[in-house]
Amino acid sequence: MTIRDRTAIVGVGTSRFSKAPTDTPMRLAAQAFKSALADGGVGRDEVDGLVINIGWPLGVDYDRFAEALGLRIRFADQSWTHGRFVGPTLQHAAMAVATGLARCVACVCGVSFIQERGLLGGPGDFEGTREEGGTHEENPVYGLTAPAAGAALSVQRYFALYGATSAELGAVPIAFRKHAALNPAAIMRSPLTLEDHQASRFVVEPLHLFDCCLVSDGAAVVLVTSAERARDGARRPVFIAGMQGMRAGPDEFLFATPGLGIGQQREFRYTPTEEQLSVYRMAGVTQKGRIELHGELPMNTSGGLLSEAHVSGWNSIAEIVRQLRGDCGERQVRGARVMQWATAWGDSTIFHS
Amino acid sequence: MTAYGKPLPRITPDNRPFWDATRRHELALQRCAECRRFRYPPAPVCPECLSERVEWVAVSGRGTVSTFVVFHHRYFPSFAADLPYNVVQVQLDEGPRLTANLVNVPNAEITIGMRVEVVFDDVTPEVSLPRFRRATT
Repeated sequence: MTIRDRTAIVGVGTSRFSKAPTDTPMRLAAQAFKSALADGGVGRDEVDGLVINIGWPLGVDYDRFAEALGLRIRFADQSWTHGRFVGPTLQHAAMAVATGLARCVACVCGVSFIQERGLLGGPGDFEGTREEGGTHEENPVYGLTAPAAGAALSVQRYFALYGATSAELGAVPIAFRKHAALNPAAIMRSPLTLEDHQASRFVVEPLHLFDCCLVSDGAAVVLVTSAERARDGARRPVFIAGMQGMRAGPDEFLFATPGLGIGQQREFRYTPTEEQLSVYRMAGVTQKGRIELHGELPMNTSGGLLSEAHVSGWNSIAEIVRQLRGDCGERQVRGARVMQWATAWGDSTIFHS
Repeated sequence: MTAYGKPLPRITPDNRPFWDATRRHELALQRCAECRRFRYPPAPVCPECLSERVEWVAVSGRGTVSTFVVFHHRYFPSFAADLPYNVVQVQLDEGPRLTANLVNVPNAEITIGMRVEVVFDDVTPEVSLPRFRRATT
């Protein structure tokens, strides 16, 4: 059995994104869910599966969400509360549909990084005290804390190995900010210059403020169903063409099934900016204009987690769907037909319209 | 002298010999009694051969800075007075990599590849933390 083109995304919805506390993750998620139903012309009672990767206390858990939204689900899956599980969680939704465990699965993320920012580093980050090291190399005994620190350790070594500089890497946040300027939903829309980037304070040196993801609140919902049902839907379906799992390897994912890898396709997505710089190097992200909207390899055309919002990454899945439908107005990638989600952890999912 | 206010290590059955050794101002690592591979962090089985037979061996405490960062943002109130402070990862000559701070070296002078050696900081009567300084030999 192959997964290729057996499933599709039929609806997406997002809440308002904000850098100030607006509402509970549950209310934001409920808004995004209703918006996804309306977008796809899907009835609430058609949703019989629910997957989540960002649970309590940052986001909503599957049990409370099902209860609060009156869902009668026969499939649920909730993974570890980390952004790296966006891809695997979406993949579980597709696998559940392809194997008949569910007919329509809602991928739900409602998150408040603002209210829970203490979890992101310092005394409130209990996960950082995990025996012999946190999930991003945290070690509070020596003051090493926060996801940015793990990324900074990698960046420092990348600079030494490849002779790169902070100013060169600044091409990434600058490109994403240009995209965000064309996205009315983005939080950070004012132009970002190299001078601004270099003058911004260090958070964890060598990472400057504008190298780090936003701390924001928001929600996004993606509805996955079978390809047959999707063809009867209200909107043009976005098919899941292929995927490979976490830890399949950064050397592989660029050429993931069905062979639509970098250099062979026009669009390429990548999410947390600081991670896995060897991948960046392969993708040539610092080459002039390459990852910008009309470059060879547009990335994070919504502004991504640096400039649109930090909805774990689900906002970027929503952007992929909107691009492939041709719904992106000023920031539309011309002729977008294939897009890839990929992360530093080796997972990849490829979509086409 | 005021009480030590920074986070302390979580002592577990797996890592207790490591922290017992640092109290004696020794850096000790697990070495597989079957295949002789050193490992860190402490774990009940060898990641190479899965043997549970293990010995704790004092190591040289010498190594090379593999990467480092400098904290400017105040995450921990207890580290506020130290800002900007460094954290280094040191590849020990025996193979494993440790996280610690580098002492007596200005942050601007830290480089990847710098040779370092362990020193011990008796932060409480029960806990001595390994840190590193520039290698003297």
